[in-house]
Amino acid sequence: MHALARTGLAMTLLLVGLPAAADEPCQSPYIQKLVGQEDFVYVWTLGTPGLGDGSDKLVTIGANPSRADYGKVVSSASVGGRHEAHHAGFTDDRRQLWAGGLDSSMIFVFDLASDPARPKLVKTIDDFVEKSGGAVGPHTFYPIPGRMLIAALSNATDQGGKTALVEYANDGSWIRTIWMPAGAEYGYDLRVNPHLNRMLTSSFTGRANYMRPLGELMGDAEAMKKFGNTMVVWDYHARKPLQTLAVPGAPLEIRWATNPRSEHAFTTAALTGKLWGIFRKGDGSFEAVELGPIGDPASPPLPVDISLSSDDRFLFVDSFVDGKVRVYDVSAPRTPKLVLEKQIGRQLNMVSQSWDGKRVYFTSSLLANWDKSGADDEQFLRAFSWDGAALSPTFSLDFRAEKLGRPHIMHFGQQSFFAGRAGARLADAR
Amino acid sequence: MRGGRAARAAGLLAALAVAAGAARAHEGDDAAARPAAESAAASGVRFEPPPPGSYELPPFGKVGGHSLLGSDGRPAPLLEPGRDGAALVSFIYLSCPDACPMATAVLQRVDQAVAGDPRLAGRVALVTVSFDPLRDTPEKMAAFRARAAPHGRWRFLTAQDPAAIAPVLADFGQDRLAAPGDGEDGALVGHTLKVFLLDGEGRIRNVYSAGFLDARVLVNDLLTVLGG
Repeated sequence: MHALARTGLAMTLLLVGLPAAADEPCQSPYIQKLVGQEDFVYVWTLGTPGLGDGSDKLVTIGANPSRADYGKVVSSASVGGRHEAHHAGFTDDRRQLWAGGLDSSMIFVFDLASDPARPKLVKTIDDFVEKSGGAVGPHTFYPIPGRMLIAALSNATDQGGKTALVEYANDGSWIRTIWMPAGAEYGYDLRVNPHLNRMLTSSFTGRANYMRPLGELMGDAEAMKKFGNTMVVWDYHARKPLQTLAVPGAPLEIRWATNPRSEHAFTTAALTGKLWGIFRKGDGSFEAVELGPIGDPASPPLPVDISLSSDDRFLFVDSFVDGKVRVYDVSAPRTPKLVLEKQIGRQLNMVSQSWDGKRVYFTSSLLANWDKSGADDEQFLRAFSWDGAALSPTFSLDFRAEKLGRPHIMHFGQQSFFAGRAGARLADAR
Repeated sequence: MRGGRAARAAGLLAALAVAAGAARAHEGDDAAARPAAESAAASGVRFEPPPPGSYELPPFGKVGGHSLLGSDGRPAPLLEPGRDGAALVSFIYLSCPDACPMATAVLQRVDQAVAGDPRLAGRVALVTVSFDPLRDTPEKMAAFRARAAPHGRWRFLTAQDPAAIAPVLADFGQDRLAAPGDGEDGALVGHTLKVFLLDGEGRIRNVYSAGFLDARVLVNDLLTVLGG
């Protein structure tokens, strides 16, 4: 695996990243924003056999340099067992965090409001597949008012990529399932632009692929064809598909520009290593535009996660294979300009930045069966400061040495967030 | 007549802004008197809402029968199941500097639209509930109601005390953060401001974030729920 990862073949096959993103500027516009200094980074972490209790867990890391717990593990809430911990999302009032398991399709609901330093598991939804009518692999958890909109990855019939959007009420009750449209059956991320009443969804692959050991999957040419090549534009309010866009090579994370006057979004295609822009046209429809390769086009580095700064200027792109972050100036969104390329680790997956863009955090794990092996299988959370030109390290935490597991998605918390500091928050996105 | 209403609506908002010492202009705050489409555009909204009945609003959750305090100081039901075919319930506090006045301004446009639409008139209740009962007395709610000058059924409710409003907020899933000095002049109350659409059976059919309220969407959703 280590050796393979250095080959072009492996580069190509590894391009099936399953990243996630949940940094502050990229949260749902319907959510309570945390605009000040974060005290905690919540890390949804995959359990690793023989490491600690071996279970998936929500790990809370101190992130405020003025606190004694800065750079340390503050608490850890295990859910028992390994479920392929992956993505998680706040409810719209930020009082709870819903975290999904891509393997078991279980959803774990943590209470954050009672004690932001010590999230507590308060509910487990174990009938997602049954309630949804066969959706599998709850992936993106996207808060909308009073509800959680979940993009699944697969289905119970054939464990393939045909999948659905599933809507839940904040109390954990199922509301409805909306299957992806014909010709664009795959799913991955979903993001809403409330000013345009448009939702974008992207596409990855089914459970039969994402749970297979990577080496085995790489040797199955037929299986490697079963990845999504589409994005769908929806009427968000009606939850109806309007348009299918061709974006070859598994378009994953989606980021709308934050400015309410803007009419574009970004994504990266994992298999082809390309940056794409989704632009609204004069007639109100959308076009997908290839904006260029990420890294060397001859050996795509598997871009897996992106983060757009709240001023819509800088797009951070993490790539798994080369362990690098690339920062693009996207002030002119059709002509992105690479302004920084930096090695973060031997493997790299998630990136989250604070609302003000001054602090950026990275984690290492992609999927339990896809992470690198040997010395390349680093498992970390690394924190940096960002001044608009350079990333400077602030602290690093070794999740293996801490016996925690494989860190994936990151969300931010604040000790006093639920204690009445109303004026310190931005109640609504712009 | 319409001009008079418009002037009063604008006056209400101006009064609210001044009374609250609003430090920043919230897009749409001054838009109460504008046609819905124009005000929607002014707030950054650039879409035509889907037509009524062309989409579904599946119910989720049901709100129980709650008794609060009317603006006349008497006990008043939150909902009147026999009369209300649908209701829009908005939780606010009168000292709120930005989001609450904006929500009220949008409800004013809905109130006008409902009154002028025979498919909706008499079948829809607007309910504005204060979750700041220590400051927002029935008298203050009555004055607020007078300034709003509703065209149709629009109840302005408060509660005896914070304990009385707490189960209502819990039932709706409406958060409320007690700030230092809660209940005192000038204190802010943190909340994720939402507006709830209920059907005649008290079932929640939609929830709206105050930051993206659009009177046209609310009216179309009312028509969708009522089958109009």
